[in-house]
Amino acid sequence: MEEEDDQTLSFSEVVEEQEQRGSEEENVVQFLDSLDSYLTLFDSLSSTLRQGWLELASARHSMGVSRINGTLLDLKPHSAATTLQVSEPDVDYMVGQPHFKLSKWASPNNENCCSEEEKIREDKLQTKSDSPQLRHRSQFSETPATNEAPLMVDDQVQKERSKSLSMFGTLVSPKLRSAQLSFETALETLIEIANMRMTTKGIVWLKRFVNEGFIRSIWCRLKIP
Amino acid sequence: MYGFEALTFNVDGGYLEAIVRGHRAGLLTASDYNNLCQCENLDDIKMHLSATEYGPYLQNEPSPLHTTTVVEKCTLKLVDEYKHMLCQATEPLSTFLEYITYGHMIDNVVLIVTGTLHERDVHELLEKCHPLGMFDSIATLAVAQNMRELYRLVLVDTPLAPYFSECITSEDLDDMNIEIMRNTLYKAYLEDFYRFCQKLGGATAEIMSDLLSFEADRRAVNITINSIGTELTRDDRRKLYSNFGLLYPYGHEELAVCEDIDQVRGVMEKYPPYQSIFAKMSYGESQMLDKAFYEEEVKRLCLAFEQQFHYAVFFAYMRLREQEIRNLMWISECVAQNQKSRVHDSVVFIF
Repeated sequence: MEEEDDQTLSFSEVVEEQEQRGSEEENVVQFLDSLDSYLTLFDSLSSTLRQGWLELASARHSMGVSRINGTLLDLKPHSAATTLQVSEPDVDYMVGQPHFKLSKWASPNNENCCSEEEKIREDKLQTKSDSPQLRHRSQFSETPATNEAPLMVDDQVQKERSKSLSMFGTLVSPKLRSAQLSFETALETLIEIANMRMTTKGIVWLKRFVNEGFIRSIWCRLKIP
Repeated sequence: MYGFEALTFNVDGGYLEAIVRGHRAGLLTASDYNNLCQCENLDDIKMHLSATEYGPYLQNEPSPLHTTTVVEKCTLKLVDEYKHMLCQATEPLSTFLEYITYGHMIDNVVLIVTGTLHERDVHELLEKCHPLGMFDSIATLAVAQNMRELYRLVLVDTPLAPYFSECITSEDLDDMNIEIMRNTLYKAYLEDFYRFCQKLGGATAEIMSDLLSFEADRRAVNITINSIGTELTRDDRRKLYSNFGLLYPYGHEELAVCEDIDQVRGVMEKYPPYQSIFAKMSYGESQMLDKAFYEEEVKRLCLAFEQQFHYAVFFAYMRLREQEIRNLMWISECVAQNQKSRVHDSVVFIF
């Protein structure tokens, strides 16, 4: 009887050990996936910045050195065109890590341009879910107000973009506008990278496996701080 | 009278024409550019340029070099050559040579006014001005609050005074007004230069008409493309186009209403000299337009040297040197940013 109990115990221990090993392997795979996404974002940031700098040089080549140089930057006090918001972690989020969010092209006259855009998107989704899709046969299609609103937001964003470039003149080359877009994209990528680093899963599993030789060797090889 | 310049030109202009043709022989060749495009860093570029006429201007510059230093020193060489020619020139060549610098003068005025609006130090702005466009009272520009004061306090005693008649207002200077002022002044300058060359007559008038018309047309295209999506109205855009050139007046009417690059292409392709320029670009693309225009300009400037006894060679030489400096700037930027694969995007070979 006691021998049967011993065999039963050892069997359950084996099963438990196998389950634990399986979950650890799953965690390693998830960690490596997160790391891959993180490195992909880094590559993307590097190429976007390179493109932005080259486009800026191209704009200087096109417009002339006197039209694009550091001495034209505006030293008058003015509000930031883009701000960073750090949100408190959710209750459900594992061990409190903050979340970074970019508020782009926010101006005193049009606060939170992006949040307005999100609100319009939410309203649009709500409208779609509430009412069935009707087919309109009229000559003038009844575009709902929500279709005009994104256009207005786009116009506002375009105006804010032009306003920030106006220190180099009102009639600037399309190359300078491309450079602006590239740096804007780079900023978004930076925020994604920051959020990914803050992702709890990555940090927690990193703490768990940092002593594991395998993970430690990857971390050291990549020279990630 | 056209055709008899050979009898009298060399009396006053022979020495300087020989000088400028000698300078032309010193322009960088394709093999020079190939060597420069293969440089690993700016010190390599300095080493390669030391074997050219730019050598004495760069030899004392300490490492590490910056791209702006390369451009400044190369520009100094051009300025020295220009000043030598100007001090040797007699009328009307001296006036012709001064006309060549008025564009830089306009750029300097706008730089000072814009920088002052942005609360920058005047001395910092003066360092960034083009040396060919400097004049005595340029620092006083920082005092003016509107265009009327700009004219009354400073510009009334400069060669730009006649060009201000169309843009004197009491409105405060802001970004849009400054941009309109820049383009209005440049329009008036081009038209004045054109009239002066017509008065000179002969080969100068014929060749300079072609070169200035091309300049006016290119400016019209650039103003159109740069104003797409901005607050500049169609009427204001139309007012910035020069009143001469191949596109005047019907091309200007069509360009004024263009809303995208494809509409601009549609207008320009009706004019045979510009068909080849836009044929190099794909639809919706405008990145290579600058290079295409520069290549066409270089072709026309080189043709100016095929004929003797006229002043257009001086204008052509100055423009070719400026193109060479732009090439050096682009090559330096590509090398400094480790993007040598993109170096041929904007380099225009002269020979």
